[in-house]
Amino acid sequence: MEFLLKFLKSLLNSLSSVKLAIFLLIFITAASALGTLIPQQRSTAEYVARYDQLAHVFIRFQITNLYHSGWFIGLLSLFSLNIFVCTLTRFLPRLRRAVHPKLITDKKNILVLKIKDSFGKNWRLAKTQEEFKKELSSRHYRLKGELKGNRAFFSARKRILGLFGSDVVHLGLLFVLAGGIISGSGGTREHLILNEGQILPVSKADFKIRLDKFETEYYPNGSVRDWKSTLTVLENEESILSKVVEVNHPLSYKGFVFYQSSLGWNWSNPSVEIWIKKKKDPSFLKKKEIKIGERALLEGENVQISVLRFVPDFVITENNEIATRSLDPNNPAAFIKGQRGDEKIFSGWIFAKFPDFSRIHHIKEADFSFELKNFKGSQYSVIQASKDPGVNFIWLGCAFVMIGLSFAFYWPPREIKVILEESHGKTEVAAGGIVSKNREAFQLEFEKIMASLRRKK
Amino acid sequence: MNESTLFLITFILYIIAAFFYFSFLFTRREDRARFGFIFAFGGLLIHTLALIWRTVESGHAPFTNMYESLSFFAWSSILAYVIIEFKYKIRKAGPYFLLIVIALMALASSPLMPKEAAPLVPALQSYWLWLHVSVTLLGEAFFAIAFITSIMYLVTESKNRRGVKTGLTAEKLDSISYRCIAIGFPLFTLGGLVFGMIWAYKAWGAYWSWDPKETWSLITWFVFALYLHTRIVMGWKGRRSAYVAIFGFLSALFTYFGVNYLLAGLHSYA
Ligand code: HEM
Repeated sequence: MEFLLKFLKSLLNSLSSVKLAIFLLIFITAASALGTLIPQQRSTAEYVARYDQLAHVFIRFQITNLYHSGWFIGLLSLFSLNIFVCTLTRFLPRLRRAVHPKLITDKKNILVLKIKDSFGKNWRLAKTQEEFKKELSSRHYRLKGELKGNRAFFSARKRILGLFGSDVVHLGLLFVLAGGIISGSGGTREHLILNEGQILPVSKADFKIRLDKFETEYYPNGSVRDWKSTLTVLENEESILSKVVEVNHPLSYKGFVFYQSSLGWNWSNPSVEIWIKKKKDPSFLKKKEIKIGERALLEGENVQISVLRFVPDFVITENNEIATRSLDPNNPAAFIKGQRGDEKIFSGWIFAKFPDFSRIHHIKEADFSFELKNFKGSQYSVIQASKDPGVNFIWLGCAFVMIGLSFAFYWPPREIKVILEESHGKTEVAAGGIVSKNREAFQLEFEKIMASLRRKK
Repeated sequence: MNESTLFLITFILYIIAAFFYFSFLFTRREDRARFGFIFAFGGLLIHTLALIWRTVESGHAPFTNMYESLSFFAWSSILAYVIIEFKYKIRKAGPYFLLIVIALMALASSPLMPKEAAPLVPALQSYWLWLHVSVTLLGEAFFAIAFITSIMYLVTESKNRRGVKTGLTAEKLDSISYRCIAIGFPLFTLGGLVFGMIWAYKAWGAYWSWDPKETWSLITWFVFALYLHTRIVMGWKGRRSAYVAIFGFLSALFTYFGVNYLLAGLHSYA
């Protein structure tokens, strides 16, 4: 039993020690840095290729998923506990000191302070006390005093809240760490792939999301300015609200937040617009919009054009086959074929990005040239739906940290300790100032106060 | 007159300021330092104009590429220097500090840095970008001064130990380093971490994703937290504190440059 108590006490001591905090800070810092040097969350094969034998060591110690590993989270938890115990054990005595400052002290203790003054006054004790009170109150100091025989002890303080700056910072950090743990364990995230008009349920929610409209806006030079998805929240088939979601402008509803994450192309049912010209007749121009696999008649020419194939990102593979490199329209191309009656007269590929470069093979004498002017696939929008119950703790914690930092650094408490001692109708004054930061400013104020008291008759 | 002319004038003014400061260092004539300060201050004013010009011209905050962000970092460094010089008279740090600023300006004007204001990719179109970058860089500017005064501390302290007397005492340098960090730390916390998290949450839907730039900002922040605790709670001062402050600024520099070029992540633009 005694052993257990001893053990608990020493545990509490280490948990409240700043040495442990320093050790943990260094260790967490080093581990965080390590995680940026070794790529995280890749495949085993990639690690083996990179690090050979070492790969298995890294994987064994979860260095490849360091920030979510048990030992890293353990370190952070220990750090939280350290902050908690350390702050609590220091906060209570500090609070007591703030409410009941130590008043009775020896003159010596005042005269060793860096900011101090002592002088005599031709006043009785009561009068001196009165004058000090007046002067200090006019500078917003709050006084606590005690009379002991022919001596009076004062403590005049202001900006007492500044005393708790570091506690508020530490409290804020605990909120942030707690928020991180809640986010990590209770948060959900999924990607909803939505075509225009499509409705999808949101997992773990009692409502659905419909994409009404999806547009991409471009700058004049062709780079993307913005993606905009008009989303509607549906509850029991009823629209609740609609919002245009853009990057940096998510939609929030019932704890879920919907972000514009990315986009993609759907080429399942594309159509193309083709312009047909005649080399010998500059006034000849026909525009045709044709779906893939369908055909269109060139009026007056008795020629039918059909589009057999469309690829958004044309590439010729090693086996000499036509394929698409990606689903993005980087190099859109269409394979067209023309016939007069049953007779085939041309066929080949045309390219939207390279109008002069067509691979049309003319079998019969025909004077046509073709341009792939436009193409329509549908774009789908990828919306990230996430629920992060920790996030409010994070913001609350950040607010505490910032308030605490302002108090700790810009609002240092000031204290003036005074001993007045009366003898033979005169009063001896000894005063000293205590401040933790920005001593120069306090010194000026202190000197002004004392000078004004010395001057008074 | 356009933005790049203003930038050039600023650059020249900073070089003249550095010239006067170095001449002060060698001749110990106070008026040289005064001239240095006046030119640095003049440079700051023209630089401010250049940044405003660019903002108006491009229609967005001037920190979307490396050129803009370097120029802004140089600006906030001079601003921080002017403030600290005004309050604590650290003119002996002036020459060294201006070297950093000139290096930043030279890097910004090097042909490797694309200068044209590119249209903003969607993620950057947010006023949190303004707040995030400007407040962070301002905080780091104070870390930069602490870096210089900490190095000067180490030099001065070893001189003093050998019995050489110096104008600016080692103790004063130590206390100025601490004050700069006391100003820089809240700014860096607000800009780098708090605003950064808010912006990431708005843009990517996750306030923290352990991306290398985020992680290195956190590392920098930890190092300065270490500085504060070793100093306030364990009473470290002088040499050891100076080493921590130097290390902290190097970590901030790595966050700023190294991560972009050596490690890949979400923050690949600035
Ligand atoms: C990254 C984490 C931490 C941050 C950002 C932080 C921040 C701060 C700040 C800003 C101060 C005030 C400094 C000043 O007044 O100049 C402070 C003081 C202090 N911190 Fe921390 N802290 C952290 C972790 C810890 C931990 C884990 C402990 C516990 C062991 C701790 C113990 C203390 C103590 C004892 C003080 C001095 C309190 C005082 O006398 O006012 N801190 N901290």
